[in-house]
Amino acid sequence: DRAPGGPTSMMQSGITQAREYDDPPWLHEKTEFLLREWVNMFHSPAAGRDSTKAFTAFVQQMHIQGILKTDDLITRFFRLCTEMCVDLCYRALGDQTHNQTLTRAKCFHTLDAFVRLIALLVKHSGDAANTVTKINLLNKVLGIVAGVLLQDHELRHTEFQQMPYHRIFIMLFIELNAPEPILEAINFQVLTAFCNTFHILRPARAPGFAFAWLELISHRVFIGRMLALTPQQRGWGMYAQLLIDLFRYLAPFLRNADLTKPTQLLYKGMLRALLVLLHDFPEFLCDYHYAFCDAIPPNCIQMRNLILSAFPRNMRMPDPFTPNLKVDVLPDIGRPPRILTNFANMIQPESFKKDLDSYLKTRSPVTFLSELRSNLQSNDPGSKYNISLINALVLYVGTQAIDYIHNTGYKPSMRTIAHTSHMDIFQNLAVDLDTEGRYLFLTAITNQLRYPNSHTHYFSCTLLYLFVEANAEAIQEQITRVLLERLIVNRPHPWGLLITFIELIKNPQFKFWTHEFVRCAPEIEKLFESVARSCIQPKQA
Amino acid sequence: GVAPLGPSALTKENYYQLTMLEAAFNHLPHPSDSERLRQYLPRNPCQTPSYYPQIPPQHADTVEFFQRLSTETLFFIFYYMEGTKAQYLAAKALKKQSWRFHTKYMMWFQRHEEPKTITEDYEQGTYIYFDYEKWGQRKKEGFTFEYRYLEDLFYS
Repeated sequence: DRAPGGPTSMMQSGITQAREYDDPPWLHEKTEFLLREWVNMFHSPAAGRDSTKAFTAFVQQMHIQGILKTDDLITRFFRLCTEMCVDLCYRALGDQTHNQTLTRAKCFHTLDAFVRLIALLVKHSGDAANTVTKINLLNKVLGIVAGVLLQDHELRHTEFQQMPYHRIFIMLFIELNAPEPILEAINFQVLTAFCNTFHILRPARAPGFAFAWLELISHRVFIGRMLALTPQQRGWGMYAQLLIDLFRYLAPFLRNADLTKPTQLLYKGMLRALLVLLHDFPEFLCDYHYAFCDAIPPNCIQMRNLILSAFPRNMRMPDPFTPNLKVDVLPDIGRPPRILTNFANMIQPESFKKDLDSYLKTRSPVTFLSELRSNLQSNDPGSKYNISLINALVLYVGTQAIDYIHNTGYKPSMRTIAHTSHMDIFQNLAVDLDTEGRYLFLTAITNQLRYPNSHTHYFSCTLLYLFVEANAEAIQEQITRVLLERLIVNRPHPWGLLITFIELIKNPQFKFWTHEFVRCAPEIEKLFESVARSCIQPKQA
Repeated sequence: GVAPLGPSALTKENYYQLTMLEAAFNHLPHPSDSERLRQYLPRNPCQTPSYYPQIPPQHADTVEFFQRLSTETLFFIFYYMEGTKAQYLAAKALKKQSWRFHTKYMMWFQRHEEPKTITEDYEQGTYIYFDYEKWGQRKKEGFTFEYRYLEDLFYS
């Protein structure tokens, strides 16, 4: 999954070695003996605090049994131990004579001992200061456990059990994040190793592990380490990748809006995790909103609203319902938001990007506009359009427009955004695309209507401008649809979205109420009236 | 509609994913799977009627709350919820009520009267202690509390 070299190659080789079965004949027996010994030592009162006394004695035993002679033997030892632990769990879970509590306790008895052994071996491999050996060993072991999991998942198919692997991963993670100097020194590499493992075991690849996987990535200790305790937000990118793995897995099912009960449960769990993130780490959702929206299907309104409603905690936002609110003089409205995705790179192929840049600069040739639609189409079954490309194009052209307007000494406004190469592109897309393409295009714009910042302001003006200048009522209807469908769902609603919609229905310039689609059906008319009531004269809470 | 792009046929891979997810749904993770083993009070989730409290009262995880609990409750938490935050808070609350933990006998002691003798290394007198085997408070006269057995981890 990633470039070879260093710890990652240790993990990859671990995954591969999990499928090697040409063990020396004596190894199985010895491993079984040693594992049983260790489980007993771990649980004996003489083990010492954190099992240190037992560990010293056990390493002696491993030496005597010849396990520590070569790396290959150590690897095989870990693989066999993992398999033995897993087998024990299958036997316990299959035995119906005990209740769940006893079964669980029996499994944990062995799993927890195995986890402590891994943690101690990682901690004490090499000198105290030798971090490389420790990290290599950890990656190797995680690779082996992941490899055994994938193999088990493949062979047992619907009989696969998540529990033993879930327990090993979470307990090992907690052990390796204890407040100890040796562990603190390697903490970032530990986090990286676990993130790589979880990425390899993502739901699309190991769907039978998906529920345990979601528990792992939303575990409070894991979120705390990844998003709060690691300095300089170094864990954020890796954590964002895991969320994207989850969104991608759910996307085909969500898109069809036809969810089975298990998918609904996973979706509900994901919403909970997102709510925690929105409450505790809104800046994280802000920074990665672009990549997240790219992975979420267009019809997942509430999921997207959760992400787009995030705003930096130190920001004070004016109530969108304030009468005569002047958005363009807000102090934050000129500042660009931070976007940690290189969206300009996503404009492919390179020749298209070159033509785009050239058009933005020279406003020619006109053929660039007429060919735009075909450039945005895709060969993917299921979608006529390349959604990621539309998203990248919209944000790129918008950011270029903001720079351009600033360079001419103005600020973006309904007047200054007009009659530029950038607006040519947007107007062309609004007119030239069919209903599906226009929906995706307007969705891409609306995804930028968030907290007060320069993008929100620019795209708010752009959407309203497209409404005013539309040559067909169908375009205006679709703009209204995209805004309205994001407002009629339950909270939260992004600030910029509210601002834009209120402006549309309040400002007489847009003649909103004269349009036919407002009154196309009695229930739609009623809906608009109720939205208007809540927008124009909000109830005093 | 709810699927503005129209439905899209699921791939073979998608159907495989659904089958595996469905199977996983039949043995979901249990809350205990991601916590330390609870020796005495394992989790035992079951449906309780909605008119019973479903969540504990607010701020039930503060020392102030623990100080309002009876000493017996605190002893119960101390002995039956090992290695948890609750155990830590119970110990703290007991200390605030002048109980001292004896690390050799693994029991909590409280002075019944001013000690008859106090030296650098020990004090001697009548004490109340909590016997976790008989589960009750007992009185001990002429007991020597050696300070080297005095647990002093969480003095604050």
